[in-house]
Amino acid sequence: MTFEQKKYLHYQLLALTGEVDLHNSPQVRKQLLDIVESGNSVIVDFSALSYIDSSGIATLVEAYNLAKNNQLSLTIVGATGAPLQVMELTHLNKVFPMIDSLDEIKG
Amino acid sequence: MSMKRILHVEHSACTSQLCQIRDKVREACHVLMYSDSDINLITLVIDEACTNIIRYAYGGESGRIILEIFQHEDEAIFHLQDFAKCIDKSCLELRKTNVLEPGGLGLQLIYQVMDFVQLLPPRGSVGNILELKKHLPKGSQNDL
Repeated sequence: MTFEQKKYLHYQLLALTGEVDLHNSPQVRKQLLDIVESGNSVIVDFSALSYIDSSGIATLVEAYNLAKNNQLSLTIVGATGAPLQVMELTHLNKVFPMIDSLDEIKG
Repeated sequence: MSMKRILHVEHSACTSQLCQIRDKVREACHVLMYSDSDINLITLVIDEACTNIIRYAYGGESGRIILEIFQHEDEAIFHLQDFAKCIDKSCLELRKTNVLEPGGLGLQLIYQVMDFVQLLPPRGSVGNILELKKHLPKGSQNDL
């Protein structure tokens, strides 16, 4: 798993690549919480993510709750395949704002 | 009809091994002719079960995990064996109701995806065997 963080409009974009599991989800957690604790809304790009387990999902939920409590947002973009199935199975696709492409983000 | 063993692998109970375990589960599920969607979900469930063994059964101690996959009649049977202290069957009870609260999500996913979940008695004096069953796709049992 690798990730890349960059600015996108007034959001911080965190692009995840590969597979997120218990082995590497603590890295994702640190990155996500750092972004939100710095007062930024975050877009998590799933376009190149092929797998995410419950520890990764729990990390997203924690960051989402923190963002919400601070009047910030956490949006997921480009989820397909196994990661989308997990989001649907946990019904988190109805909790998180989920979009197909960055074009849907308004500045 | 006897049980046909599709896979037998042994790994150290370490998070760095999860990726390899998932690859082997995907291969075995292809052999069992599951759809891509089912392969994703079964792989997730086995990964979650291994994660629980690493986190809770071994609790950070070193150990081993044996994964066996069998085909029996119209079902795939998954056995995950560890050599940690025997856990209570109540550990398999679902308690969680809200996905936004921490904890228990892995177990919830296991029950959602699998048709049958139980703990078997250990083969020796220590350890646990988690048995999971899932119906095979129609037609695959005739072709194997």
